Amino acid sequence: MKLLSLRLFNFRQFYGQTPEIVLASGDRRKITVIHGNNGAGKTGLLNAFTWVLYEKFTAAFASEEQLVNKRAIAEAEIGATIECWAEVVFEHSGTQYQAKRVCRAYKQKDGAEQNKSELRLLAKNEMGRWLPTSYQPEDVIGRILPESLHRYFFFDGERIEQIVRSNKKAEIAEATKILLGVEVLNRSVKHLGEARKSLEKELGQIGDPETQKLLKHKEKLEQDCDRLLERQEEIEQELGYQDEIKQTNGQRLRELAGVEQLQQRLDDLEAQEKLTREKLRQSRANLRQAVSSRGYMVLLGNATAQFRKLVDGLRQRGELPADIKQQFVQDLLTSSRCICGTELSDGSEPHRHVTAYLDKAGMADVEETVIRMGAQVDAIDRQVPEFWQEVDREQANINQFKMSLSHVEETLESLREKLRQSPREDIRKLQSRMDEVEQKIRELTLEQGANQQQIKEWETQMGELGRQVEKHRMSESRQGQVQRRIAATEDAIARLKQVQEGLGQLFRVQLEKRVQEIFSQISFTPYVPKLNEKYELTLEETMAGQPASVAASTGENQILSLSFIGAIIDRIREWSKGKSGILMPDSSTFPIVMDSPFGSLDEIYRRQVARAIPVLANQLVVLVTKTQWRGEVAEEMTDCVGHQYVLTYNSPKPDCQVDEIELRGTIYPLVQQISGEYEYTEIAEVN
Amino acid sequence: MTKELSMNDVQELITTAPPEVRKIIERVLKAERDKLYMKNPRHINDDILTIIKEEVR
Repeated sequence: MKLLSLRLFNFRQFYGQTPEIVLASGDRRKITVIHGNNGAGKTGLLNAFTWVLYEKFTAAFASEEQLVNKRAIAEAEIGATIECWAEVVFEHSGTQYQAKRVCRAYKQKDGAEQNKSELRLLAKNEMGRWLPTSYQPEDVIGRILPESLHRYFFFDGERIEQIVRSNKKAEIAEATKILLGVEVLNRSVKHLGEARKSLEKELGQIGDPETQKLLKHKEKLEQDCDRLLERQEEIEQELGYQDEIKQTNGQRLRELAGVEQLQQRLDDLEAQEKLTREKLRQSRANLRQAVSSRGYMVLLGNATAQFRKLVDGLRQRGELPADIKQQFVQDLLTSSRCICGTELSDGSEPHRHVTAYLDKAGMADVEETVIRMGAQVDAIDRQVPEFWQEVDREQANINQFKMSLSHVEETLESLREKLRQSPREDIRKLQSRMDEVEQKIRELTLEQGANQQQIKEWETQMGELGRQVEKHRMSESRQGQVQRRIAATEDAIARLKQVQEGLGQLFRVQLEKRVQEIFSQISFTPYVPKLNEKYELTLEETMAGQPASVAASTGENQILSLSFIGAIIDRIREWSKGKSGILMPDSSTFPIVMDSPFGSLDEIYRRQVARAIPVLANQLVVLVTKTQWRGEVAEEMTDCVGHQYVLTYNSPKPDCQVDEIELRGTIYPLVQQISGEYEYTEIAEVN
Repeated sequence: MTKELSMNDVQELITTAPPEVRKIIERVLKAERDKLYMKNPRHINDDILTIIKEEVR
């Protein structure tokens, strides 16, 4: 999605129709800067985008029910309809779209009542005519940039750290998967499974009694499986809910005087515990991987020794190296003369001698193979110690993690005990509530694990039943056809599951690497961003050789969020360049619209972010105050600025403090006084 | 030292499939992508069943 322009009419502070704000894009001059003081309507502009496209607002946008400009309402007569709209023109895959959302307010004696808004979407055809799209506008926009992802691209810089805050993690992880195309695979696997069920039902209706029996059994297992999978989802939700309670309680404990430090320590330890568990899991996975992929090498000792013995024997007998070529001997025999000049007539003694060399010369092929195999055998021998080293290392890690885990658990328990024994009743109560939640979480996790195992077992059984059905002789061709369809579907599912696993891992590793690069480029801290299997983002540091989670500041979290968004845009651009075709998301251009982009960052970070973001984004719209656009930010971004606009706030307040800004040698008013009753904002382009 | 998976390895799972399976995979992925913006894609099960029936006759 490339944003082309924005125009407003009676929307919030903007009275009447604004001039068209043309948005810069392109390889170099891709930034549009909109200057405005607090209250001038910067947040309004950001929300104009999200309102038109998704009917959503950011958290900083107050009074959603008052979209229509107050002056326009005041000037209308009672009973009149006042319209407000916003219009976004954008381009996607070579087609231009105009999205316009209209909202009407009806003026009554005691104010105005706002109606539900309507979205209209036009697309420009080859002839240059604008026509309504053939699908629902929401669907078309959703296909170009899904609603669940809009928060990545239209955001309030002062609150951007929300992206990595814990309560949003699941949602953000889900959105990331959609963006990367992983969700397409998940759904394909799920829906192909549904299709297989339908096909089996069909087969059940036409198959012979034995097949029907097997299928019935299988269907029953499938139903059981589905029920358990549903339960797994419930558990997942319930766990999230319990986690929320835990956090709220933790927050309350932190706020209680006297225990805030204790609670902080508990939080840190819990984060540490989680991290160590993750590391432990990773180490175990590494160990499994090493054993299953290279474990066979240690068993090859006898075979390689035998190979060497054979070769040595050949060498000792002088059969190797074979220094004479078969062709050469053949040539001598054909020309009937030896190199020493002796005639080689058939049946003569010299002829027999030379002929005997033919056998020896045949060893040239053997020699070549010996050389090739020797290199491979050497490689195997070399890798054996490496393999053992890795096994030792991972086992040492596992022990280390287990020890630190039990240490952390002990400390946690003693801290909790302190809270349980507290002389204050409120603290005791909160802690006992916490204990209940912990207990609940433990029970749920156990159930989850047991269910997982059961599902796996049933899946194996179903696979076996499927094979039996397949074996069962099918006499009629129609049954054969359905069976072939089922077999093809199962093959497709199996392959997609592997792709799913591989791609999920590949994307995550590469995305993590890119986030780390961008983060370290911006931040001066030694922290390292980590992306776990669930695509949840955290910051880590290394303490005494052990990774530990970081209690990051708002600023660090903002940088982490920006790095994450930047990395996603960058990776998708890279991936879609490749030949990966069908596996790739089809959107590879993303705009970034940022309100107050430098949040609570200090000078160094502001400079670094200002330098990094234009490189990462395909297109950037920044809404800034005079102080946000000072010195280092302006310096870093100026070269990439394509268009600039100034929001002039017209204040009816008689003694209002006027303000102005100088851009490209011209002075533009930011705040000016007007006569009249209502404030409003005007938009002027900087030339 | 865990071997890193490459995009080619992943692609291969699809390219080495029998022709009809490959076609099914490609068409299903496309159908899912087209309806990705919907939380509960409408008629997707019917769409996929049609794809399978068309590809395996």
